Amino acid sequence: MVRGVVVDSLTLNPLSGVTILGEKGYAISDRNGQFNLQIKKTQVFQVSHIGYARFKVRVPHTQSTTLFIKLKPSSTELDEVSVHGKTKERTVRETATVSVSIDEEFLHANRENSLIQTLSKIPGVGSMTIGSGQSKPTIRGLGFNRVSVIQNGIKHEAQQWGSDHGLEIDQYGLEDIRIIKGPASLMYGSDAIAGVVDILPQKVPGKNSFGGDVNLLGETNNDLWAVSAGLQSRKDKWYYRTRLTYRDYADFRVPTDKINYENYIFDLHENHLRNTAGREANFSVSIGRVGENFKFETVVSNVNAKNGFFANAHGLEVRSSNIDYDNSNRDVDLPYHKVNHFKVTHNATMYLGNHKLQLDLGYQNNHREEHSEPVPHGYMPKPPNSRERIFTKNTYTVNAKSLFKKNGGHTISVGLNSEFQNNNIGGWGYLIPAYDRFTIGGYFFDHFELNKNLHLQGGLRYDFGMLKINEHYDWFQTPRDNGDGSTFDIFLQRATNSTLDFGSYSGSLGLSYISGNTTYKFNVGKSFRMLLAHELASDGVNYHMYRYERGSLTLNPESSYQMDVDVSHSGNGYSFGVSPFINFFDNYIYLNPTSDYVETLQVYEYTQAKVFRTGGEVNAGVDVTANLHIYASAEYVFSRQNSGPKEGFTIPFSPPLIGMLSAQYLLGDFGMFKELNLKADLRAAAAQNEIVPPENMTDGYQVVNLALLGTLNLFDEQLPALLKVKLNNIFNTEYYDHTSFYRLIDVPEAGRNLSVSLTINF
Amino acid sequence: MKKIKKFLCFIMLLFINSCSTDDSASKDVEKPTISIAYSGGFPKGCDQLKRGETYVFRAMVTDNEALASYSLNLHHNFDHHTHDDQVGDCDLNESKSAVNPWIFMQNFSIEESSLEHEIEIELAIPDDIDTGDYHCAYSVTDASGWQGRTSIDIKIVQ
Repeated sequence: MVRGVVVDSLTLNPLSGVTILGEKGYAISDRNGQFNLQIKKTQVFQVSHIGYARFKVRVPHTQSTTLFIKLKPSSTELDEVSVHGKTKERTVRETATVSVSIDEEFLHANRENSLIQTLSKIPGVGSMTIGSGQSKPTIRGLGFNRVSVIQNGIKHEAQQWGSDHGLEIDQYGLEDIRIIKGPASLMYGSDAIAGVVDILPQKVPGKNSFGGDVNLLGETNNDLWAVSAGLQSRKDKWYYRTRLTYRDYADFRVPTDKINYENYIFDLHENHLRNTAGREANFSVSIGRVGENFKFETVVSNVNAKNGFFANAHGLEVRSSNIDYDNSNRDVDLPYHKVNHFKVTHNATMYLGNHKLQLDLGYQNNHREEHSEPVPHGYMPKPPNSRERIFTKNTYTVNAKSLFKKNGGHTISVGLNSEFQNNNIGGWGYLIPAYDRFTIGGYFFDHFELNKNLHLQGGLRYDFGMLKINEHYDWFQTPRDNGDGSTFDIFLQRATNSTLDFGSYSGSLGLSYISGNTTYKFNVGKSFRMLLAHELASDGVNYHMYRYERGSLTLNPESSYQMDVDVSHSGNGYSFGVSPFINFFDNYIYLNPTSDYVETLQVYEYTQAKVFRTGGEVNAGVDVTANLHIYASAEYVFSRQNSGPKEGFTIPFSPPLIGMLSAQYLLGDFGMFKELNLKADLRAAAAQNEIVPPENMTDGYQVVNLALLGTLNLFDEQLPALLKVKLNNIFNTEYYDHTSFYRLIDVPEAGRNLSVSLTINF
Repeated sequence: MKKIKKFLCFIMLLFINSCSTDDSASKDVEKPTISIAYSGGFPKGCDQLKRGETYVFRAMVTDNEALASYSLNLHHNFDHHTHDDQVGDCDLNESKSAVNPWIFMQNFSIEESSLEHEIEIELAIPDDIDTGDYHCAYSVTDASGWQGRTSIDIKIVQ
């Protein structure tokens, strides 16, 4: 027997999964790069590994010392793998940041109605859903503008602050998503105070390749049908890809025929949540080039969606209407919103010796319209049309980064992020002002490899931001007292012209230590978040929520301190991990319901308070038998306000303790179906009794989902079709999700849903 | 087998851990209540009020800790845009456009941090306003920012 070890020729790190193939006999290197070959005579072996140049080695059968193979990273593909000379898995272990990588396989096996619902299966990640087709992300209980969603290096910019706004990203065609739990302002800019959902660019297609996929999906609960088709091709250096997605769904069904909201009762027609149908049409095209030491890709994409809102109560406002909603469950009547998000991104990377230069450019146009039946409110007469709120936001982004590998184990990143936003408003309902916002931030970051298994990381960042708010007046007149019993009518001013600027430091320090199969991570950091226009300058009636929202110019930029620990271990057939955190906010900003009234509506004021949070995630997996894998996880966050008007209370939208247990059993092959897997998931949430006005306590629940996954040889044995049959909420359980948009009007989550999806690759 | 045992222990630990925190004792988690369901409560569902007359609007509000403010809002429902939360439905008139509808909106504060208070608002209904279906909406807040609401379908007649 001959023993050997494969390492990267530059970093000398061991390479796992390398194939060593000869005429007789082969081996695959283990995680320490080691392999054994049983040979009786001298022969030549070919050593190959993704991202590395192929290598031939003659192995004499008399070899007694360990065979040492150095693989040279291939320079033409310029993948991240070759640049670091490390596997993605290894890179993640060496990075101190607590992060989770999600691949295409996970996305396929767990795909739900929206991207964020799919991602919410990751412990610590949650979703705020708005009906069946839309959602927005939360990380460890924080959401809205505190989570940055990055796509192709550019921060997605829309009206994230809105409670009925959903993320405008096509969930098909995504290959690689990285989720960072915890403050990540340092590398990602000020909004990433709670974490990041980083959707990485797709992999560059192989040379002389042409391929694509068609995905078909049907669902019973909301009578959804969806199709998404993608194509990609590359000759030598140039490549292109394109994707089209269309989804159309009806009102979703809930396991009740009556909604009891306060003293109101809404009868539901055939369990349909009236007017929650919607549709979505997306396209993207991209063109890219890979050269000897550079690559670039330009992506143009557009997401267009129209979604109805529950007709009986939008927000808290109970509505009667002459619209015949029950006539069709597929049409979208008032109230609804429609959104169009157009995005162009350009990513360029250049390699100069030990330098890697990266430039990301982005332009986004987000146009969102909220429509509702015109109804007089307070002193506002009946508006002329249904255009309640119109937002048009243009965002221009420039990010530049230089990565430099120095001798002595230092990898230094220096970067600059800048962004300009121009937000315009229209419609008869005023909530946030028109504004221009410019931000620029620079950072310095060092990844220091003390030795192979001990890595230190630290960095510092400074951000500067300028916000110019435009004045706004009501379009109708309001009577005001003269003090002598007589009144006069005025157009009330809702926002004044003002310019504000902010600046702040953020920083972080972390280390990772790899000991065999165990990885230890430790991080401390300070993050900050720049104030948003609505936090400063809201001053108007949110009709649907029956409240008067008021901003405050005296708020400070939000700042947060966090300490993280992450320990993960993966052994032979089992794995576990634990990642606790402690987090302090100097001034957490939220919309606080006061005791006061304006025009008989309760005043909600943007308020800041000291907040302490702690919690974390645990997970464990085990291969019970060769065919049965069991995985369990739990997530928990505890929050407490330590100052301000709600001292002693939690913060809004605190998720309950959630546990997930899943079992996957490999059934094997059945006729034309191959690799059939049966998967059962139990999601259990504890009751959430930690609430803050105006929330309601939410009972705990258990919901069970089943899925059958497999492949099917339809046309090509090399590229089998993927089949998925999924039964969600199999017992049609009536349960409430504490962080769902419809929770506040006591609408339960969707009932039983059978979905069938087929992905054909070619 | 050892790894399965380890796994089970881990799961047990998890569940034991998750049932240990509860300290919501001292916070106010109760909304104030508002009611017209007593002999003095006014107006009652489907009541008819006459133009030019003066009425005393009465409702009882209570809270577990401290009442703070209340408001009264009267607005027309000529377009049938909503309905009340009282027992039983009222017959609505044909829907119509507003010409000179009555809008009454006023906010009041409750001085001492009382637990119970009777709202009493004397209101003269103007002579020249549109008659028809109206809504009478009371709301009340407590010191913690909780709110209670109720609304009543009424008619204003000649």
